[in-house]
Amino acid sequence: MTGTGQLVPNAPDTAALRVDDVTGPRGAPLLRNVALSVPRGGSHVVLGPMHSGKSTLVRLVLGLDRAVSGTVTIDGMSFDAAYANEDRLRLARRRVGVVFDSSALVSRLTLLENVMLPLAEHSTVDAKRARETAAALLNDVGVTRDLDRTPDELTRLDRRRAALARALVLEPAALLIDEPGNGLDPHAASELDETLRALHERYGCGILICSQEVRYAFHWPAAVSVLANGRIVEQGSLDELLNSRHEAVRRFVDRRGAA
Amino acid sequence: MRQASVAADADASAEHGSGSFTQLGGRFISRGRLALRSAYWLASLLAPQPPDRPTPVTASVTRELDVLGFGAIRLVAASALLVGLITIFQAAYQLAPYGAEVVSTRALAWFVAREIGPIVVAILVVARSAASIAGEFASMAANGEIDALRVMGLDPVKYLVVPKLAALIIALPTLTAIAILLAVIGGWLGMSVVLGYNTGLYLEQLHESLAIRDVGVGLAKSILFASIIGIVAADEGLRVNRRVSAIGGAATRSVVYCLLGVLGADTAVNAFVYYIPGLT
Repeated sequence: MTGTGQLVPNAPDTAALRVDDVTGPRGAPLLRNVALSVPRGGSHVVLGPMHSGKSTLVRLVLGLDRAVSGTVTIDGMSFDAAYANEDRLRLARRRVGVVFDSSALVSRLTLLENVMLPLAEHSTVDAKRARETAAALLNDVGVTRDLDRTPDELTRLDRRRAALARALVLEPAALLIDEPGNGLDPHAASELDETLRALHERYGCGILICSQEVRYAFHWPAAVSVLANGRIVEQGSLDELLNSRHEAVRRFVDRRGAA
Repeated sequence: MRQASVAADADASAEHGSGSFTQLGGRFISRGRLALRSAYWLASLLAPQPPDRPTPVTASVTRELDVLGFGAIRLVAASALLVGLITIFQAAYQLAPYGAEVVSTRALAWFVAREIGPIVVAILVVARSAASIAGEFASMAANGEIDALRVMGLDPVKYLVVPKLAALIIALPTLTAIAILLAVIGGWLGMSVVLGYNTGLYLEQLHESLAIRDVGVGLAKSILFASIIGIVAADEGLRVNRRVSAIGGAATRSVVYCLLGVLGADTAVNAFVYYIPGLT
């Protein structure tokens, strides 16, 4: 906060997203001392089995749950994950896009309205331009027809694609994706993966992927963290992951071998 | 977001057994806040907008009007017609020993416009829509849709609650006007076809007893009932907070609290309007 009460970003940060020593959520801490960063234009894959705390990490990063301690920095805007200032949190959230594991499109709105929503609220574009932008983005993610359908009328893959379009519409610095392959068959998951990579190249935002599928560590040129029992037990490059002797990490690597 | 956290606090206190008074207090505070925020967004919706701005909220109001308003017309029309008949039969039966069956038209006109019209419509809308509103919001909360809106910096009250509230505030007075008209037609059917009085006498009695002010009171009540139904049902749905198992409970509670709220408000309005000098 400046002397005039205006909120400004912190000093320039090389990371699109940084998580420092986050423990939480408050009440029943599932994650302990989690630290990671996603470079601008880079990617970071967080692997972990079910209930290891991946979705909790996403919620803590977004300030949807309060942490016990820790700091989150999104595009240079830091906030205390335990006592986040609402204004600061709002500004930080504006620099991040998120795709939840359920896609979480607003079921009452059409596809086009879902993608237009952030534009309607946070930009000054007129209705025609907002519609064109949303339609173009939906086209980019592979949803090309019947944009006036509601999410209930879509396949799971198209819902995930539309959620991706909505997350990218304000051109965020960081993109968080929770379980991208959740509920998708291998072919659909692979299609989504291709779309995601193409958009990553085009938009250049930092991507944090949380998944229980080890293939993301192999398909993305990313730093990898492995979560087990609420702690990051291994963090580094793919090579370091493959050479790790930690039991939880071995389980992930061996699972890929079995596949 | 504040509203959701109040709801979470209230649920937490309930889980820790701090008593039903805390829960009740939490509900009142939560609904008060939701009502204030809804009023703010409703006012902003009514303010002049640049013609070329995207209008997802307005589009949602139209859709909700179709579901909550037009969808209820057949139910309200049929019920109002029957209520008119029932009222005439009961009033005429009670007044027959005094040779005053014809006066039952006056009772119908006065009572339907001020009381039966708005209350029957409100109860029908609660029965038809309150559980659906609460269930829908609860399922959206469980599905992460509310969180997604919050992350995008979008107020769920503006995009989800206000369209339903606006639709109810438009639909209930309209449905009440239709109900009053059809109850009067039902009363005429009872008086003329069943009891054998001529239509001219019915219309004369109606003209003498039904004042525009009575209809105004009924319509004003229906706006109050619409606000109660919208706020209470939405609040019950938004309190669920990512728990799929709580969706059914939220739907049930919304019907109970909406009915209590509508009847309580009607009692308060009656006490206020009829026992404060100068208002009757």
